[in-house]
Amino acid sequence: MLHASLWQSNADLARCILEHPFVRGLSDGSLNRDAFRRYVAQDAFFLRAFVKAYALAAAKCDDFDRAKVFHGLMTGVFEEIELHESYAASLGIELEDVDPFAATLAYTDFLQRVAWHRSLSETIAAMVPCMRVYHFLGVELTAQLHPAHPYESWIQTYASDEFKQLSDRLESLLDEVSAEEARNRNTRSLDPAIEDVYRYAMRCEFDFFSAPFQDDF
Amino acid sequence: MTLQRIQQSALVAGSGELWQDGTQADFLSAIEAGMLPDESFHRWLVQDYAFAKGLAEFQAIAIAKTPRPAQKVLIAGLMALDSELDWFEQKAGQYKLDLHVPNHPTCRRYVDFLIASAYTQPFDVLLPILFGVEAAYLGGWSSLTPSGPYAEYIERWSNPQFVQYVTDLMDICDSKPKDLQQHYFNEVMRHERDFWRMTMASDN
Repeated sequence: MLHASLWQSNADLARCILEHPFVRGLSDGSLNRDAFRRYVAQDAFFLRAFVKAYALAAAKCDDFDRAKVFHGLMTGVFEEIELHESYAASLGIELEDVDPFAATLAYTDFLQRVAWHRSLSETIAAMVPCMRVYHFLGVELTAQLHPAHPYESWIQTYASDEFKQLSDRLESLLDEVSAEEARNRNTRSLDPAIEDVYRYAMRCEFDFFSAPFQDDF
Repeated sequence: MTLQRIQQSALVAGSGELWQDGTQADFLSAIEAGMLPDESFHRWLVQDYAFAKGLAEFQAIAIAKTPRPAQKVLIAGLMALDSELDWFEQKAGQYKLDLHVPNHPTCRRYVDFLIASAYTQPFDVLLPILFGVEAAYLGGWSSLTPSGPYAEYIERWSNPQFVQYVTDLMDICDSKPKDLQQHYFNEVMRHERDFWRMTMASDN
């Protein structure tokens, strides 16, 4: 399956993300609270672009059943945004006027360019890493949970079966749509643009975790 | 005189030090001195071509959104950009450079910014973006004396026709920029600064 081979071929970046100091801090609970605040604010900004990308993906579907799947995925993002709002309230941060970091803008500009300008398969390929990486991190970090872990809620959200279902659904769509588009091009070979946007999105994920530390280094 | 008008425009003035950041660079100093390493020159040529292809896509979308008569300036600009792409291809052939290499992340971020903006912003924000792109190029190259091994390049982006095009772009922008227009113009200057730095960076 395409989604599995893409994840496999980007295992190096997945490992770098897992070993990123921000993620290690989330894992053992030592992450600086201010860095987590900055991360939540940036992620809320990012999710607004992510939900728009789902809407644009739905608009590219002639098949209404498929459009409904994107609608369901959008609902998942809205729930994630609500989760951020609850974090924001408890962390005392304002999500309405977030000043995006350069890494956040690079990611949202990339996502919007692909979603507006490119094919449905490329759009999905640009979005899968965000879902897949977060579920991967949730599962990996669950093993580190201990009583009174400060980031337990974050870890459990992304390790959950509900989140896994959303991630799996998007990966299935990537397999389906890329195969359809290849058939329409009368080829069995993979569009290299799909591999390119997937890997670039993985890099964006890594950079996104680096940005909240920018004031500490 | 018109170059001075451009440098005194409200958008340039409103960008503060970002204008200097976007128009002054070690790359340009090395061009003027004729001391630019071949590696940097080739990297610039290949990445600037990739950028120009992205800019053509931006302009095509901007043309579709811009009403006449301002649209005429953009259409003429796109035709000139098409000739410029041909020129880049010819230059790449001359230096035996591969133009199909992946975009450098800095170039990629700039193009992503342009295309995302083209779709999501109204035409009166797209015009200051395009003015910023071209004014920065004019400002950077026209500060150099056209002599030495790169005289052709300096003349290409400092000649009276290019000054006139950038002036035309300035004249179709709002003379009193709104905050959003200034914000996007400033973003262009940041990308220009990063692009120049990328040409000379050792981590490429």
